[in-house]
Amino acid sequence: MDIINGLAHGFGIALVPQNLLWCFVGCFLGTVVGILPGLGPAATIAILMPLTLNMDPAGGIIMLTGIYYGAKYGGSTTSILLNMPGESSSVVSCIDGYQMARNGRAGAALGIAAIASFIAGTVGIVLLTLVAPAVARFALSFSAPEYFALMAFGLSLVVLLSGASLLKGLLALLVGLWLSTIGIDLFSAQSRFTFGRSELLGGLDFVVIAIGVFAIAEILTTIQHRQEGTLIPVPKGFRNLLPSREELKASRFAFVNGSFTGFIIGVLPGAGSAIASFIAYGIEKAVSKRKEMFGKGAPEGLAAPEGANNADTGGALVPLLTLGIPGGGTTAILLSALVLWGIRPGPLMITESPDIFWGLVASMYVGNVVLLLLNLPLVPLFAQLLRVPTWILFPVIFGLSIIGAYSVSERIFDVELLAAFGLLGFLMAKTGFPSAPLILGFVLGDAMERALRQSLMMSQGDLTTFFQRPISLVLLIAAVVILLLPLVSWFNRARVRAISEGA
Amino acid sequence: MKLSALLATAVVATLSFTSVSTAQAQFTPKRPLEIAVHAGPGSGNDVFARALITVIDKNKLSPVRIQVANKPGGGSTTAAAYLASKAGNENTLGVFTNIWITDPLVSAEATNPLTSMTPVALVIREPGLIAVKADSPYKTLQDFIDAAKAAPGKLSQSGGSVLARENVLRQLLMGATGADWQFISFPSGGERLSALLGGHVNMMIVEPGEATSQVRSGAMRVIAAVADKRLPGFPDVPTLQEAGFNIPNLPQIRGIVAPPGTPKEVVAYYSDMIRKATETQEWKDYVAENGFEPAFTTPEETLKFITEYTEQLRGILEKAGIKLVAR
Repeated sequence: MDIINGLAHGFGIALVPQNLLWCFVGCFLGTVVGILPGLGPAATIAILMPLTLNMDPAGGIIMLTGIYYGAKYGGSTTSILLNMPGESSSVVSCIDGYQMARNGRAGAALGIAAIASFIAGTVGIVLLTLVAPAVARFALSFSAPEYFALMAFGLSLVVLLSGASLLKGLLALLVGLWLSTIGIDLFSAQSRFTFGRSELLGGLDFVVIAIGVFAIAEILTTIQHRQEGTLIPVPKGFRNLLPSREELKASRFAFVNGSFTGFIIGVLPGAGSAIASFIAYGIEKAVSKRKEMFGKGAPEGLAAPEGANNADTGGALVPLLTLGIPGGGTTAILLSALVLWGIRPGPLMITESPDIFWGLVASMYVGNVVLLLLNLPLVPLFAQLLRVPTWILFPVIFGLSIIGAYSVSERIFDVELLAAFGLLGFLMAKTGFPSAPLILGFVLGDAMERALRQSLMMSQGDLTTFFQRPISLVLLIAAVVILLLPLVSWFNRARVRAISEGA
Repeated sequence: MKLSALLATAVVATLSFTSVSTAQAQFTPKRPLEIAVHAGPGSGNDVFARALITVIDKNKLSPVRIQVANKPGGGSTTAAAYLASKAGNENTLGVFTNIWITDPLVSAEATNPLTSMTPVALVIREPGLIAVKADSPYKTLQDFIDAAKAAPGKLSQSGGSVLARENVLRQLLMGATGADWQFISFPSGGERLSALLGGHVNMMIVEPGEATSQVRSGAMRVIAAVADKRLPGFPDVPTLQEAGFNIPNLPQIRGIVAPPGTPKEVVAYYSDMIRKATETQEWKDYVAENGFEPAFTTPEETLKFITEYTEQLRGILEKAGIKLVAR
């Protein structure tokens, strides 16, 4: 009853015209920021924070949070259309999203992304509303060994991302893991693989690597094949710009999977939405009856990660609002905004600042509807972008990529790195190395290494700590099972061959 | 021809000399002032710089616009290099903290030590609180130390980099008491806090602002204050010295520096501007709300502090077995 009363009270606040306007402004800004590569929601919120301090706290936090989840919606647009992930959370959306666009289903892909975002985003908020305190306790029970096992599980997904050759996938994964170790080591304060360059002390930036090996490499590959005219066919007629019934049906399970996977991983401080979307994609492919479609434009391969990175938002707000613990960069900035208004998120927030808490939660329901209404009409418009001939489109993508890489920390060094990774991605594509495992290794490597070292420090070097804790044990077993999958199918194929040869 | 060229040079030289001497009398910035920050938007330093700018703007203490330049990367290294590259530029300042001192001590790539910059002012000190989980058996710091002594290496503390004040204090405490416990690094404050509240580590050092709501909601207990005197929000919590631990209260500092070789009159101007800002009510409120301590110093005092603190930290880090760079 408390929840219903609270939510009703919250809608009373969120639906005040003024707050509705701020919600719209936040969602709109978020969408724009999400589409632009490089400029992320964290930076945008920090820049706008001083402006909101003179606002009513409810309106201010509604707007800033709108930027946060709005950016997750917008992030998929460039992934799908240009193979250019704008944020780390939308990198997995490139895999099948861009292939859908290449198959002439750009509009459908954008539509599926918007629908998946809406469904999973809303489920994330429903879960935030209903089970936040209980889930927050679950998040606290996660210690270093559990994080290590979760990352190991994530890495095992390389099997599903490798394509034709598992060996090449594993090699790409190793390169990604190595790239993640570049920079100052947190535990010893020593620099690793920096080659004496002070620019490398902070490590490599995700955006630079991802845009390089995805967007730049894609352009180089296309140019080499001398495709003339438009890059991607765009079917005529409004109907063809929307997802078909079959595509939606294929994505049914992905909507559910993305919603729950994204929420649960979002709750864990130190996991992050990129991991959520990788794992949702892995689960989707592992249970799929048509695994061969993945990586070739399977709508469910887009819906699962896109849903997961939106449900992640609801999850990430759980530890922030109920425990006062920010899980990542953006939530840390939301925390400092709340503190500047004199509101301390934590166990007492619901009782001490019910207006803010419930107003914010209710505004997120509203915001998701706003985003859907904002994004769906844009779908045909964005899909038309692909009609632009390549001699215009390619320079534009190059320009956007360079601006994106430069805006990470405003230095030319990152643009040089972008060129290097573009070339690397191109050579990998030419020699049949998949690029997704490299990104997977880079995203998970750092957190996995940390969790391993934290676990071993806590257990004083005792490796059995990973097998004595139930959650960690289950995740590690799951990882081993996935790693053995190719062996099983190889076995099956051999058996089938033997039987048919025998017959 | 030659004579006229000589004459022209002389005239130009005289003119520029006079303009320099008038500038010496009173420097005022003509172009927008930039404050370099070593971390991204929303980080502690970024918020600090923006709060300072807001106070300066509101009280019209600067004739020019002031903006933050975020230069993250390699701890403080990128920002320090950026500031060093602005030598001779009178429109750039930087916010420094402890890591501007420690980074050049341990990493060969960090070639711009704080001692090479022009000090302007210390602005605030941040006290710390030693905290344990509310249901932990340690009621005092002595309880924790005794338990750590009884089982060497079994207990643990969550924190950030090994260079952070948290670890330096741990080294000092272990050295003074003979106890031994682990320091487990986590990249973000949220992860450090959840490791403590989840019961995965036994102790951590938190900022007062962070502790207030956790203590009130009954999740956390604070057992000692890292400060010269008891903190206003925590009158019952003894300082390290009161609790019987005679170790230096290493301050966590935030201050302002100018690029290397900045002229005296320019430094004097900015020092004056910051002093006026720290005397406003808005700034005092900001400092109190966050549990900071005001710490304004003149450029001379700042230089003395930086020089001494660098040597102190060098000694402590060396003792802690952290590999230092020979310079």
